[in-house]
Amino acid sequence: MAEHPVRISVDDDLRRSRLTVLFRLVLAIPHILWWNIWSFFALFVAIAVWVVTLVRGTPPAGLYTLQASYVRYSTHFFAYVVLAANPWPMFTGRPGYPVDLDFDPPQRQRRLAVAFRLVLAIPALVLAVCFTGGGALTYGGGTLLVVAFFAWFASLVRGEMPSGFRDLQAYGLRYLAQLFAYLFVLTERYPDVDPAATPAAGREHPVWLAMDENLRRSRLTVFFRLLLSLPHIVWLLLWTIVAIPTAFVTWLAALIIGRTPRALHRFLAAWIRYSTHLYAYLTLAANPFPGFTGAAGSYPLDPVFPAPERQHRLVTGFRIFLAIPALAVNGAVGLLVIVSALLGWFVALALGRMPASLRNAQAYALRYSAQVSAYVFLLTDRYPYSGAIRIPSRS
Amino acid sequence: MAASLLWQTSVPDDLVLPDVDATKGLDKSVLDDAEDFETFLRWSFVASQLAALAVLAVYARRGARFARESAAGRIGTGMLLGMIGLALVWLSQLPFELLELWWQRRHELWNAGYLDWFLESWISLGAEFLFVCFWLLITMALAAVLPKTWWVAAVPVFVGLALLFAFVYPYLVESHPAPPDVRRDALVFAQRQHTGPVKVGVEDWSDFTSVPNAYATGLGPSRRIFLWDTLLDGRFSRREVRVVLAHELGHHSRHHIWKSVAWYALVLLPLLGGVAWLTARRGGLYAPTAVPLALLALVAGSLLLQPLDNAVSRRFEAEADWTALETTRDPAAARALFRDFTREALEDPTPPGWAYEALATHPSIEERIAMATAWERRNARGRR
Repeated sequence: MAEHPVRISVDDDLRRSRLTVLFRLVLAIPHILWWNIWSFFALFVAIAVWVVTLVRGTPPAGLYTLQASYVRYSTHFFAYVVLAANPWPMFTGRPGYPVDLDFDPPQRQRRLAVAFRLVLAIPALVLAVCFTGGGALTYGGGTLLVVAFFAWFASLVRGEMPSGFRDLQAYGLRYLAQLFAYLFVLTERYPDVDPAATPAAGREHPVWLAMDENLRRSRLTVFFRLLLSLPHIVWLLLWTIVAIPTAFVTWLAALIIGRTPRALHRFLAAWIRYSTHLYAYLTLAANPFPGFTGAAGSYPLDPVFPAPERQHRLVTGFRIFLAIPALAVNGAVGLLVIVSALLGWFVALALGRMPASLRNAQAYALRYSAQVSAYVFLLTDRYPYSGAIRIPSRS
Repeated sequence: MAASLLWQTSVPDDLVLPDVDATKGLDKSVLDDAEDFETFLRWSFVASQLAALAVLAVYARRGARFARESAAGRIGTGMLLGMIGLALVWLSQLPFELLELWWQRRHELWNAGYLDWFLESWISLGAEFLFVCFWLLITMALAAVLPKTWWVAAVPVFVGLALLFAFVYPYLVESHPAPPDVRRDALVFAQRQHTGPVKVGVEDWSDFTSVPNAYATGLGPSRRIFLWDTLLDGRFSRREVRVVLAHELGHHSRHHIWKSVAWYALVLLPLLGGVAWLTARRGGLYAPTAVPLALLALVAGSLLLQPLDNAVSRRFEAEADWTALETTRDPAAARALFRDFTREALEDPTPPGWAYEALATHPSIEERIAMATAWERRNARGRR
C-alpha cells in the first residue's frame, strides 16, 4: 500500500533541558493561547475546504497549505507539551521541528467520502481516545498524558527522555495528525493506527512477539468470541491464583540466588504466554481458539521469553516500584487493544478478516504487555520498551 | 428394580381420582385464553425442537470443519466444537424464543423488555458454554483412559457433580427471608411432615413476570424453599400459600431431590452409552471431531427420554400434592389454588394427551383438583 500522505519524522536526540522540562507547562502557555485561537479559525477554514472539495473534488491549494501548517503546528505544540521534543516550537507551523510532519500535495478525493467525512471519521475518533484520553474508558488519560506524566520525572532526573516513551508519543502524535488531516479534508486516506509507520528506535528486547500474518477470521467465532473465551477466562483466573504466590516465591529466590529458578521461570512464562494467547483471541488479534497450557509456538501471536539469566538484586528488590510507570503506560496502551477489538469486531463480522492496521496495533500493545508482565514477574530485568515498532512476522 | 423402587410414592395405590369439573368457577374467556395461550406455546416448542435437531444434524455432518479454528489440543478443540454447536442451536432458537416472549407479553404474563430478555439469554448461553466445556473436559479425559467404557465411568462423576450442584445451588440464589407468618407455617408443616426445619426465601420476580411459582431445592443443610414474590402479592390467599408451602416441603420430606438424582443416574447410563455407540465410528469421544455428533445424540436422546422424565416429575409432584393435603388438610384451598393457576398463569386445565405426555412436568389442573377431592372423600369416609 502507498505511503500515507501525512507522515511524521522524528529527528530527536532524546536530550531534554531539565529547566524547560520543569516549567514545561508554564512555558507552553503562549502556545496554548495561540493554538486555541488558530483552532477556532481552522474550524471555519475546514468548513470552507470541505465545501470547495465537495464541489471541485480537490482541496484548494492555498487553504490546503494553511490547514497543513495548522496541523503541523499542532503536532509541534503537542510534542513540546508531552515531551516528545525539546525545543520551544515556532508559532507558524513551518517545517523543521524535531517531531515534524510531511504532507503530500493535495490530491483528488471521492465526493461521497468528502460528504460523509464526519460520519466516516467516527471509528478513527474513537481510536483517538486511546491516545488523547477522555471518555469513560480512560480513567487516567490516554497514552500521551500518561507517558508525559512519567516522562516528566524521568527527564528531570536523567536530562534525557526514555526512547520508548518518546517513540510511543510519536506514535500517538502521528495518529492524531493523520486524524486532523482526515477531518479537515486534506486527504481521504484514513488515519493509520498501524504502529509500523512510526519512526522508532526499535531497541532490541529479550521479550518479543512472534506473529503470523493471517488476517482471516471465522465470522461465527467472531460473533460469539466473548462467550467462547469464557472457559479460558475461568482457567486464567484459576491459574492466576497459583501464579501470584509463585511470583512471590520467585522474587524471594531471585533476591537470594540472583536469578529465577528454572522451573518457576518456566511456569510463569507459560502463564504470561497463555494470558497473551487469550487476550489475542478475545480481542480478535488472532483467530484460532487457544490451547490451555500456554505452550510456546502454539499460537499465531506468541510471546518469546529469554532463558533464566542473572538479574540485578537491587532491581529485583524494588521491581514492583520500578514497574509502576510501565504498568501505568500498559494500562493506557491496553485500551488500544480493547478499542481495536470493538471496532474490529464489526469489520471482521462483515468481511471475515481483521484489518491489518488494527491487528498490528493490537500486536504492538500485546507485545508491550508481555514485556511488562515479564518484567514484573521476573522473567527479565530489562525494562519494557514502549516504542511502537513493527512486529516481525513469523511467516 | 431401582426404577421400580424409585417409582413408589406415598400416594395410596388404591386412590381413584373422581371425575371433576376443573372449569367450575372459571370464566369461559379465561379458559379460552388459557387454551389459546398454551396451544401456541406447545407448537412453538415442537417447532423449536425440530429446528434444533435440524441444526444439530447439519452440524453433526459438517461441524468437524470448525476444528481448523482451533490451536488448542484435543480437549480444547472438542470444547470449541461443543460451544459452536450450542451457539448454533441458540441462534436457531432465537426466533421461537422471541415469539414466545411476544406471546407472553401479549397475555401480560411477562413484563420485561426485549433487551432484558436478550441479555438474559446471552448470559445463559455463556453458562451453557461453561457447562459443556466442563462436560467435555470430563468425558474426553475419561475417553483417553477408557476409550470404550468411558461412559460407564462418567456416570458416577456426573452424578457426584449433580449432587454437588444440588447442594450448592440454594446458596447461589438471590433471595430475602419470607414473611414471619410463612416462616411459622413452614416450621409447623415441617413437624407435621416429620422432617427438619427448612428455610424459606422469597425471590423478586414481579418486575419481570406475574406468573406465580415456587420450588424446593438443596440437600441436607442447604435445603431451601423459594417462593416467587408473585405468589405473595395478594392475588393468592393465605390458605393457598400454605398449600404451596406444604407442597414444596413435601418435596423435601419425600426426598424428591435425592430421588431425582437417582433417576438422573438411571437415565444417564443408557444416554451416554448411546452417545459412545454412535460416536464410535468417528473415533469415539476421544476425537474432538466426534463432538458435533455427540451433541446431536445427546439432544435427540434427551428428547426421546423426555416423556419418561416428565412422568417421573409428575409422579413426584402428585406425591407432593398428596403430602400437602395431608399436611394442611384443606382441600378447598388446594382446589382454589389450582383454579387460580389457570386464572393467573393461564394453565390449560385439560391439556391434550400428547402434550401432557411430552411436555407436562406437573399433573394437569384437572388431576390436581381431582386428587384434592379424592383426599376429601377418603378422609370424610375415614371420619364416618
